[in-house]
Amino acid sequence: MTSPRTAKRLNRILAMLPWVIEHPGTPVDEVCERFGYTRGELASDLDLVFVCGLPGYGPGDLMVAYIDEDEVVVELADYFANPVRLTPPEALSLLASGMALLSTGQAPDALHSAVEKLQRVVIGDDEEQLVVDLAEPPFVAELRAAAAEHRVVRLVYTALATGKTTSREVEPWLVFATMGNWYVRGHCRFAGSERVFRIDRIRELETTAAKFPAPVVEPIAEIGYVPGEEDVRAVIRLGPRARWVADYYPVEIVKDAQRGLTVRFSASDASVIARLLLRLGSEAVLVDGPEVADRLQELRERILHRYS
Amino acid sequence: MQSIIRVGSNVLVVHKVIERILNLLAFLLTVGRPVTAEEIRTTVAGYEQSTDEAFHRMFERDKDLLRRLGIPVELAPTDGWQVEHGYVVEPSAYALPDPGLTDEERTALWLAAEVVRVGGQVAAPDALFKLGGAPMTASGEPLAASLSGGSESLGLAFAAIAERRHLLFSYRDRRRRIDPYGLVHRRGHWYVVGRDGDKVKVFRMDKAVDVEAGESAEAFVRPEGFRAAEFIPETPWEAGDEEMMARVRFDADMAWWARRQIGNRGELIIAGDGGIEALMPVANPEAFIGWLLSFDDHAELIEPPALRSRLLDRVRGAM
Repeated sequence: MTSPRTAKRLNRILAMLPWVIEHPGTPVDEVCERFGYTRGELASDLDLVFVCGLPGYGPGDLMVAYIDEDEVVVELADYFANPVRLTPPEALSLLASGMALLSTGQAPDALHSAVEKLQRVVIGDDEEQLVVDLAEPPFVAELRAAAAEHRVVRLVYTALATGKTTSREVEPWLVFATMGNWYVRGHCRFAGSERVFRIDRIRELETTAAKFPAPVVEPIAEIGYVPGEEDVRAVIRLGPRARWVADYYPVEIVKDAQRGLTVRFSASDASVIARLLLRLGSEAVLVDGPEVADRLQELRERILHRYS
Repeated sequence: MQSIIRVGSNVLVVHKVIERILNLLAFLLTVGRPVTAEEIRTTVAGYEQSTDEAFHRMFERDKDLLRRLGIPVELAPTDGWQVEHGYVVEPSAYALPDPGLTDEERTALWLAAEVVRVGGQVAAPDALFKLGGAPMTASGEPLAASLSGGSESLGLAFAAIAERRHLLFSYRDRRRRIDPYGLVHRRGHWYVVGRDGDKVKVFRMDKAVDVEAGESAEAFVRPEGFRAAEFIPETPWEAGDEEMMARVRFDADMAWWARRQIGNRGELIIAGDGGIEALMPVANPEAFIGWLLSFDDHAELIEPPALRSRLLDRVRGAM
């Protein structure tokens, strides 16, 4: 297989040529900015084009491509006057990312028309051949704005895994959607460290006037839970319908057998694991974890009491 | 010293490859008829190789590269007797129809591609170059989204939908052949919606394996005005075959969460103490029970009795 770099280079040449052919006299700087070229790279690609063309390969058969003062000149290359059709993954990726932002309801008008135009040439006018729905809980817009302006927010947060509700001040760094939920990553002043909060579990939010300095390291858009020293650990066997747990939670796989997937689960609180076990029902079995077993027992009794 | 020479000769090799492929493509786009590999070998500059084997290896690689870029290199008979086949690139199939984007629209697409990852892929400007490029500035927006689940076959499914090809895949140990009508991303998963036999069904793309597209395009007619998203429920407990109405009581301190989750999918009665009573449709009792249990003892399923006892069985579990 030819190297991906060669493919990328060829792709860029086949995209740059049509642009210059359609816009004669385009300044070098514009071509460079548009296609991410340095002046040297552009000159080198034009040199390549200059020695290519049609059989015969004489002066009238080869393409003409060079930099004249500050303009890019391409002639005798009309067979490359059109850009190449998008591949299905390319078209999907552009459309889906555009639609994802549109579904948040906070995208510029230009994106709306861009997606519409692109959709028309790629899949036609039939509606709903592609739908991207990033349903937004309340406060996403507020958190985006606060993160952009580096403003501290005060939030009332319920950790549903433990049922605990706390009020805290957070420096929001990054708002992100993954695995069907929205999260905010930032520095939690209450915990004194970096935290990720699920936005739909924020009960109240207030943007304060206080500003915070930009994070030193670029925040990552992942849930990325790092098990701590004092975490509770338990070994759980997951049935086929509960295997998703291993994708969603930071687990360590102990054994992957026909009967199920055995994982070591870490959490800051035993009741997190107990609640998950109850939710999974017969699809999950607690193999080891006395503290979790106690919490699970209490949880069962509490619910049964409610129903008695 | 040696390494410098090697770097220099690599650059030369890359230049040779690109020149040869540009010559090949220029020829295929202008020749106007299918041409055999042999004709290409003797006509196009860059293929003057000593052995047959070297030529074929090189030609296969070049063809492969062109196809990866999205260039339709097709095989067609060179004459009416169909004895010999040759290669052809139809200029109309090669060209991207001009969507008529403005620079502002190109930039908006680039910024969106930068923020949203589709199937785990980081945005590459290659596709945007085809659309005329845009200044590649970073958005600076503190926002990111990932549309994961079923990454490898998404492009294939999308193309099948657009070209009305059958989609074949294995799902829950059965081979299926569906008429794919739509691709939907919701609740963190990609789904394909389509006709399987006489029913419209929904399949999760990350669970479909050995995905292939059918050979012929226009193999089915998509029902006019088909609404793919309607087939994908917004909550897990709406995804199922059963039909029942459940009445649930949520305590005051968890009412906010219940309301947020229920949205406008049920009927809500607000109690005097701040709690709520909800009447909601349930299609997947197991998922519904799982969800209710996440409320700990702050919710109580009142009706129907059969569902209530199912919940209690689940809670008693292996006590």
